[in-house]
Order: sequence, then C-alpha cells, then structure tokens
Amino acid sequence: MTALLTSAPRAARKPRYTADQVPLSTVIWRMVAGAVVLLIFVIPYLIMFFGSVKTKSEIRSVEPTYFPTEWHWENYLTMWFTPETPLVQNLISTIVISVFATLLVLLVALPAAYYTARARFPGRLVFMFLVIVTQMLQPAVLTSGLFRQFGFLGISDTWLAMILINAAFNLSFAVWIMHSFFAGIPKEVDEAAQLDGAGRLTVLFKINLPLVWPGIVTAIVFTFVACWNEFAASLVILSTAGNQPMAVALTKFVGQYETSWHYVFGVSIVAIVPVVVLFMLIEKRLIGGLTAGSVK
Amino acid sequence: MKKSLRLGGIVVTATLATMSLASCGFGGGNASGGSGGSGTTVNLLVPSYSDNTQALWEGVISDFEVANSDITVNLEVQSWDNLTDVITTKVQGNAAPDIMNGGPFAGFAADDLLYPIDEVVSADTLADFQSSFVENASVDGVQFGAPLLASARALFVNEDLLAQAGVTAVPTTWSELLDAATKISAIGGGVAGYGLPLGSEEAQAESAVWFYGAGGGFGDASAITIDTPENLEAAKFIQTMVDAGATQADAGATDRSPLMDVFVQGKIGMIIGLPPTVGQIAEGNAALNYSVNPIPTVDGKAFTLGVADHLMAFKNDGSKQEAITKFLDFFYAADQYVPWVTAENFLPTTQSGSDAMGDTPALAPFIEALPGAQFYPSTNPNWSATDAAFKSLIGQLAQGKDAQTVLTEIQAKSDEG
Amino acid sequence: MTQTIHEPPTQTGTATGRPRSGPARQRAAAGTRLSDLISALPWIGPALVLIFGVVLFPAVVMFYNSTRDISLSGLDKGPVGFANYATLLEFTPLGGIMLRTLIWVVAVVALTVLISLVLAQFLNKSFPGRQIVRLAVIIPWAASVVMTTLVVYYGLEGYIGIINKFLVDIQLIDGPYGWTKNPVSAFSWSIGIAVFVSLPFTTYTILAGLQSVPGDILEAAKMDGAGRIRTYFGIVLPQLRGALSVAVLINIINVFNSLPILKIMTGSIPGYDADTVMTMIFKYIQNEHKIDVASALSVVAFLIVIVIVAIYVKVVKPMKEV
Repeated sequence: MTALLTSAPRAARKPRYTADQVPLSTVIWRMVAGAVVLLIFVIPYLIMFFGSVKTKSEIRSVEPTYFPTEWHWENYLTMWFTPETPLVQNLISTIVISVFATLLVLLVALPAAYYTARARFPGRLVFMFLVIVTQMLQPAVLTSGLFRQFGFLGISDTWLAMILINAAFNLSFAVWIMHSFFAGIPKEVDEAAQLDGAGRLTVLFKINLPLVWPGIVTAIVFTFVACWNEFAASLVILSTAGNQPMAVALTKFVGQYETSWHYVFGVSIVAIVPVVVLFMLIEKRLIGGLTAGSVK
Repeated sequence: MKKSLRLGGIVVTATLATMSLASCGFGGGNASGGSGGSGTTVNLLVPSYSDNTQALWEGVISDFEVANSDITVNLEVQSWDNLTDVITTKVQGNAAPDIMNGGPFAGFAADDLLYPIDEVVSADTLADFQSSFVENASVDGVQFGAPLLASARALFVNEDLLAQAGVTAVPTTWSELLDAATKISAIGGGVAGYGLPLGSEEAQAESAVWFYGAGGGFGDASAITIDTPENLEAAKFIQTMVDAGATQADAGATDRSPLMDVFVQGKIGMIIGLPPTVGQIAEGNAALNYSVNPIPTVDGKAFTLGVADHLMAFKNDGSKQEAITKFLDFFYAADQYVPWVTAENFLPTTQSGSDAMGDTPALAPFIEALPGAQFYPSTNPNWSATDAAFKSLIGQLAQGKDAQTVLTEIQAKSDEG
Repeated sequence: MTQTIHEPPTQTGTATGRPRSGPARQRAAAGTRLSDLISALPWIGPALVLIFGVVLFPAVVMFYNSTRDISLSGLDKGPVGFANYATLLEFTPLGGIMLRTLIWVVAVVALTVLISLVLAQFLNKSFPGRQIVRLAVIIPWAASVVMTTLVVYYGLEGYIGIINKFLVDIQLIDGPYGWTKNPVSAFSWSIGIAVFVSLPFTTYTILAGLQSVPGDILEAAKMDGAGRIRTYFGIVLPQLRGALSVAVLINIINVFNSLPILKIMTGSIPGYDADTVMTMIFKYIQNEHKIDVASALSVVAFLIVIVIVAIYVKVVKPMKEV
C-alpha cells in the first residue's frame, strides 16, 4: 500500500502543473490530499483483489490475512472454466447488452434532451416529469410485469429484451443529465448560428455538441455502468446460463452451504476493469482535454 | 440463439411492443415453452446446492437426451436466494417450469398447479420412495412432491476443544450442554462453546432444534403451535445460553453458513450440522478432530430434525406429462440418482438409494437418525408465514427481548397467514 | 430511427425560427401552439415510445396487483379492493420504517452532495497524479453496488473480517464488534456505503459542470479582488446549479429505490429496526411471498417519491434555464 502512495504522484508527471504558478508547498499539499483520496476509493477494491488471489479456504479464515499468503493467480484462469457458469459467454453477453443499450439510449435521449432544452412546446414540462416518473418505480416489483410482457412478445431470454429494458430504464436520467448541460449553453450561441442560416441539426451537431461533451460523457458512463451492473430484470428475463450477464453469473458461485468467494471477487474485479478502461479513454479525451487550464 | 441486434429492428420492436400492449392489456400469453419442432422440451428449474450442481444436472440431462432423442431438457440453475423470485415470476407469467426442485410445495399444490406425483412417475419409482418421506410429500393424502434428497441434523463436536475445557463426555441434555459450552467459552481467544445461528438465513432450523428438543415443536398440517409452554421453556433456555456467554457474540444476527466456517476452523466447540458439513470439513480443514452426535434435548431423549427437498411437476398446459414421466423415471433409477445424491453430500430418499449408500461411514449417523426424524409442518398452509416469522423475529431472543413476547409475535404472524 | 434524425430542417426551423425576430421573442406566444408540439414529436417521440413501451405495462401490473389477492405461488385469486393497503396500515413497525427511509434519503443525499462539491473542486485543481486520483474515484461507480457492499460486509464480519481486524490492530476497539449485527451500526455503515457509491457520479457531474464555468469570468472576478469564497458562492456555485440540481434529483430517486446495500448490511438483523420501505418490500416478496402486499407498499413508495420529487422540482426548478 505504501507503494501506491509514492507511485501515484510519480506516474503522471506532466509539465501542466508548473503553468499554474502555484507555490510548491501547495502542489505538495494537493498531492498528499490526492493520495488520501486515492487510498479511500481504492481500498475496498484492493481487499477484493487480494481476496481474489487467495485460496477458497484462506478467504474464509478466522485469522484473516491482509495479504494472500500465497498468490493464486491461476484463479483468474480457472474462473472462466468453472462448472457453475459459462463466464466467457456471460462476459460477451454483458458487453453486447451494455454497448447496444447505451447506443440506443444515446440515439434516443440526445434529440429529446436537446429539443426540450432549446425549444418550447406545450407539454414540455409534463414530458420531462413523465420521463423521470418511470424511474421512481421499484424494479423488484416491476420484474413480474416485464417477464409477462416479453414472454408475450416472444423475446424472453434474448439479448434484445435486455437491451430494450436497460435502454428504457436508463433513458430518463440520460435525458435529464444531457438536458441540464444543453440548458447551460447560452441561447445566443444558437441564435448566432441560425442567423447564419444553419439548420437545427447543424446547430446541434456542429455547435452544441462540442460544448456539452462533458455532459454527454457523464450520461454515457452513467448509462453504461447501470446496464453493466443490472441484475433484477436479467435474473428473470434471461433463463439460459449463457445469455446471462456477469451480475447474474456471480450469484452462481453462491451455493446453499458454501460460496466460492475467491471467484466472486475475481469476477467482480474482471467486471470492473472494462468500465474503468472505457472511462479512462473517454475521460482523457474529453473532460481532461477540456479542463486543461480552464479553471484553476 | 440468433440475436437481432440491428438498431432499426430494436426501435421497430419497441414500437410494436407499445402497440400490441395497448390492444391486448392483460392477455398474458404463454411464453415460449416447448413445441419447437417435433420433439418436446422439458424445462427444469433447480437451485444450486454446491459448486457441482450445474455440472451434475448437465450430466444427467445429456445421458437422458441420448436415451430419449425426441426430448430436450432445458436446465436453469438459480441460487437458493433467487429461486423464489424466479419461480413466482414464472408462475405469474403463466410460464412455470415443467419440473422444479424446491422445498415447500404446499402453496403450488393448493393452487392446483402440480401433477399428483403418481401421474408423472411409474409405479416402480413411486414404490421406491421411503415411506417416511411420502407423508411429508403429501397434502390431504395426495402426494405432490417426489422426495429428492434429505438431510438430518446432528451435533458436531470439536473433540480437542472439549478435552481442553476438561469436559469428559459429549452432552446429551441441555444442562450438560450449557455446562460444557460455558467451559469451552472460558478457554478464550475467540473460542465459543456453542454456535447458535439465530440470524435470518436458517433461523427456523435452529429454533426447531430447540423447540422440538423441549418436547414442543411447530405443530402439524392442521395447526401451527408456536406459543406453547414447552417452546417457551426452550426460548428461555436459549436466553440462558446467551446470557451465560456459552454462545458466540451477536447470536441473534449470526447466519448459519459463515458460522459453520468458524466451526470448521476449530473456533467453536459444538454446533448443529448437516450431512454436507462432513464434506465441508474434509475440504476445509481435514485435520479437525470432531465427532457427530445426537442432538442434546431437555431430557436427553434423542431427536433429529429432518428436511426433505422435492421435485415437483407443473401441469402448465398438460402437454408434457409423458416427457416429464420419462425424465423422472430416468433420474430416480439408482445408476443416475445415487451418484447424484452422493456428489451433493445429502441423504437418499429412495429405498434403492439408501441400500446403495448404507455403507458410507461418514453419513451413517444421519442415515440412522433419519427414520425417527421430525419434519417441519411444511404442508400446513400457514407454514410459509411461520417460516418467515422465525427468520425475521426469533433472533430477538438473543438480543434480550422477552421470550413470551417473541413467541406471541411469531404465533400472530403465523396465524395471519 | 434514421428518418427522425433526417427530418427536414425547414420544418423544425419554422417552428422555432422565431429567434430571428429579435430579443422580444418567446414568452408570450412561444411554445403553446399545437404545431409546436407536433414539431417536437420527431425529437421526443422515440424517447416516449421506448420508455412507455417497456415501462407502462409492468407499472400497470404493479398497481393492478396491489388490489388483488395473490397466492404464495404467485397465482391471482381475485380482487380484494384495498385490503392489501389495510394490511400495511395495521403493520405497526411501518412508522419507524417510514422515518428511517426519510433519514436514509436525506442523510445519503446531503452527505453525497457536500462531499462531492469538495471533491470535485479538489479534482479540478491541477497537481501531478490527478489523472490517477480521478480514475480511482470512478471505481466505486464501475463496481457493482452489490460487490462493494459485500466486501465491506465481509470486512466487518466478526470472525473473518479484515476491517474488524484492522480496527482491533490499531487498537480503536478491543475486540471484533458485530457492526452488521446491530441495527444502529449496520444502518450507519449502510449510509456510509451508499454515500461512497454515489460519490463518483455526483462528483463527475459537478466536475463536468465546473468545465462550463467560463475562465474569463473567474479571471475578471480575480481582477476585481473578489475572494475565493465569494467567487465560489457568487460565480461558481450558481453556474453549477443546472448540473447539480439534476444530480441531486437522480440521487434522491436512486437512493430511495436502493435495495442491495441495506439488504446485505442489515439482512441478518432480526425484527424491523433497521428496515426501510425498500427492504420491507423485499421482505414481503422474499420471506413472506406476499406479492400483493409488496405491490401495495411499492405503490405507496412510488407515491411518496413522486411527492418528494414534485416538491423538489417545484422548489429547486432543475429545469430552469440559465
């Protein structure tokens, strides 16, 4: 853990901070605070990680160990081939469902968010409120209706069903998040462009979109993460083991009398990585890029 | 398994969904069940007993499909936690599985969802079930459950801790148990005398051990009786155990599985265990010096709590009776059933299975105790509510709540249904 | 889908072409005509279709089930009017459950927002290693809530828990304590976890909002000699209003509806002293198999959260344009 403390500041030595013209003591103070924040946010997942390379018995030992006595890296290999669940298929399932649900959300929510922020029409407030009302329903109770509905449509136990469900249940937050960012752009920007003869779509894509990237990114990540971890509906809609996402697959390691915690933790770590990578890509290009030097 | 992933398709489907819903309301059609092509599809929903459950069933199914090429079996394995959710949702959606492995079945039987078991197994298979399980698998004389596996409880004792505490004999009565447990707890270093899991996971089982051990119990198929003098005596004795420090800390909120891990690792003197506990010890800490003994009771009279899980067959549209029968007969034949039940570390419910496994020494104490076992009154319509009440309320005993009040509360919840 | 996007610009252009008539536009007549609604449809229609196509039916089923008698196995036994609601009213612990639900939502949301404001401000400053710290902050978001909670739960376990061991090792407590076995401590830890997993989203929303604070305005404020605190409350915070108010709204709804944390952390505690509306719904479904009463409680929960959100929208006006 001490290694992390020191490695964190060293890793990203970029010339940027010198341009800030803040005293060295301030920079050091920030680095220390940063290390503390880093630790707080990482510790539970370090515990998870160390657990994932312990043996099944060490993880349940009544003399708990902070670090594994032996590092069983092979857990990360064997977990793909357990009798409990076809994890490779589960991973593919999770990726397909999350990616397509997120794309669908983006495609449908972006125009709605833009238009409600920019144009006035009767029922605009009603629309926004109705959309968010759908989020207030308790998922645990909705599943039985969802199951009936998709059974009736004949697409129970398909990825398509889960893509639709995930998209529908994340749409409203995406609309609201993007709406708030669109609304934050001064109207004059649009008007100037429209005076130049630009159509609404041109204004949206050429002028507004670049300005609200951070908001769109927030909405994308929000949606993707929610789809990635969705459980309640997948549990009842997807009955074939191979179709199920990782969140459901995890529960297969929980037996009646014993649980393979090392696999539960290992799979969780594996499930976290793609989201963090996705975020890393987006964060660097978008938020990070925009941030440079804008606010101190 | 072909998935339509084209976005255009998705949007069209969403639109269709809205339109078809608007027109049909609560029609609630039958979900895709079987009849895909010429063969029959049997849907099998089972809970996960262990790491092996999925693989064991897959083995049975592939053998079965080789022998019956016109029948396909769809396996769905769920954890025990999720099983109830999944089955209620399926029943509500008119898409019950054809065969399910579960515990209590009285609710399904009452709703006329199940085949009487004699309609879906051959006479030979039916005759092979041990008679002690048949009664427990029947409602008003009609057998709805095919007993799948059984467990019995026994007192697991850590012999080393017992010796270290200077206790010479395994306790058979409550007062001996209290004495021995107090002495073991006194060893210190995180050692507890008696492991008392009254947390929600399986609170009804630990309660049953004490209530039946006091000569009381939970009642029968016609009446649930929780608030009785015998049960009160048991409840008060549980509190005596806790107050004397003879148990682990926070007994009222301790779940069974994690506590069993602690016993396996030698930090608990005595605990009530099941047949799979034997396997867990062999795997987790083979060096543990332990013995399996009869459960101590108020007067030393032996008793055990038996639990049997069942396979049940859902009627649905009534078209798969023949296929279901073929599968059940195939499964209960000794060559399939015995390896299955052995691998899951449970006790067999068939005569042929019992004969085949009778010489397994580790399970001998359980198989011996089983004929005299007491079962939950799980065919009583109010059992489900009683079970829930135990899970959520009995732990309050260990938190110092008045014993009589706790029993009254549970009885009330139970009567409410 | 493609059709809606390739809607001829002229059509939408005419509907909102009004800006050209100068600053005195809008207000009076704008956005009240039916034609305005029709031209809005291509933009909002797909969203409406998707949401209501999927959600409407299950929602109706929920309301419907709350007035039915549903058997243990899930079979509908006929109408019972409001009997399920009456069952709820007779359930004495319900008062405490409601109160705890309120505490839960208020505490989690308030703490989340306060900490996020500070954290976002900090992450917006440049220092070496900031990228990595930002990435670390995202992890609780990327991890499923269930897993994060399980790790803490097992960390707090009396016998095998690492957090308990750590607290003992640094001599903060004498021996392992049953954190998850007593209502108050389990509930408090749950609040902590809920805040922890809500921080990434809220912090990032604020962080993204901070990017839209124009640098030149801050520069100007500096020139005018405005202090940091005045700049923050006078310029930065108002600018964050849009993003923040939506983040709070989403948090309120999510926290209210959150089940896994409390289910795991307080699940083994007997009685109802650590339950909220959501865990109670879960107990009705999972333990007591009462889908009908669970549906009734869900309807009640739904109405409560709708009222809360309506009040919030009315007071905070997250849709108010800047």
